[in-house]
Amino acid sequence: MRLVLAATALSAAAVPVSAFAVDYLSAEQAAKLMFPDADAFEARTVTLNAAQLQQLDAQGVRARSAAWPVRVAKRGGEALGYVVTDAVIGKVELIDYAVGIALDGTVKQVEVLAYRESHGFEIRLPAWRQQFVGKGSTAAIKVGDDIANISGATLSCGHVTDGVRRIVAVVSAARRGGGLA
Amino acid sequence: MNSTVTSNPALAGSLRRAQPLLGTLVEVGLHDASRIDRSVVAAAFDAAFDAVREVSRCLSRFDAESDIARFHAAAAGSSIRVRPTTRQVLAAATELQRATRGAFDISLGTGPDQWQLEGSGLHKSSAAVRLDLGGIGKGHAVDCAVAALIGCGIESGWVNAGGDLRAFGAAPLPIVLRDEHRGGTRPFATLQGGAFATSHFDRLSRSHLVAAAPTRSASRAHVSVVAGLCVWADALTKVVALSGDAAHPLLARYGAQAWLH
Repeated sequence: MRLVLAATALSAAAVPVSAFAVDYLSAEQAAKLMFPDADAFEARTVTLNAAQLQQLDAQGVRARSAAWPVRVAKRGGEALGYVVTDAVIGKVELIDYAVGIALDGTVKQVEVLAYRESHGFEIRLPAWRQQFVGKGSTAAIKVGDDIANISGATLSCGHVTDGVRRIVAVVSAARRGGGLA
Repeated sequence: MNSTVTSNPALAGSLRRAQPLLGTLVEVGLHDASRIDRSVVAAAFDAAFDAVREVSRCLSRFDAESDIARFHAAAAGSSIRVRPTTRQVLAAATELQRATRGAFDISLGTGPDQWQLEGSGLHKSSAAVRLDLGGIGKGHAVDCAVAALIGCGIESGWVNAGGDLRAFGAAPLPIVLRDEHRGGTRPFATLQGGAFATSHFDRLSRSHLVAAAPTRSASRAHVSVVAGLCVWADALTKVVALSGDAAHPLLARYGAQAWLH
């Protein structure tokens, strides 16, 4: 074990760093990771009609937009699942992430695509609850419920849990309405 | 908790991925990834994230199937069987509780002496006792993920769970700290083959340790600890914060060093 302190390590005068960003994966890379058996990803746009938007609203989900780009993972023409990418904005950070959804409507995987912070970098996003996996649209994904807020509602927790919840609900509504094969 | 790995030329050629796990962002990085077979890279990332998920499945208070949730649901006077991972973390917590004469308390005051490890069982003495491994579990998860990477043949890399991080192999890892008061980050150190954790404690922080922690100036509200294993780095930040002593005698036992800053 070897730790070498930086010259300014213990200085009271912090040296601010203008921005911090990490790119982890492209949307395409994430889609392939989530559905390694897919031989094609079909780009579709899910458009929710007024009735569907109202239904989501009644579930407590703000769809934010009526049109959602969705990648349909396919193998031999058969759908394997869906990948939706999104970005959430917190107090100082912007997080791009991708959600893989299985055919039964449950979350298969969540991957962070990119993390950006407007001033400084903090990798601590306290209330990101890990178990998005297996949450269908009937399970309430919200902070303090089945995806619990561990350390306090700071930074992105609400945004990310809301984001995953929204995507699950939108895909579910689109499939019920025949908008996604 | 707020230490991190910065974008740095030293990390050129590394591959990193991140997933939301353990209530935070868990990042896994592999140095010199172009020299590693692609299938090994994919298997290593999967193994590392799976290892973190397994720790979460054992310890999460919010997963009804976890050992901790089962302990909470168990009747007073009964024992439950726990998985080896849970046992390891509870054994470490017991060790720290003894060494700090009860200051390190995963029951958060609900019954420090009301739970006991007995072989592969966990005994519950009173109905009120509740366990929270938030102060140590993340560090253990990092250690498990590192073990998984090494098991896949990865020679050099790192795992960072919301600021509790560990580097292994020959490549030095640059670490920056975020200033919780003023924003921005500053370079703190480079770490080679070891673990590092930082916690932030003051009257504004949400830590349950605040009430017990000695008063200190806002400019000394961060505690950083370097140690061989992340489980000790993580837990010892709490010990140092509770005592206000960056030269706490317990640090030497784990080959650790601490800073208040």
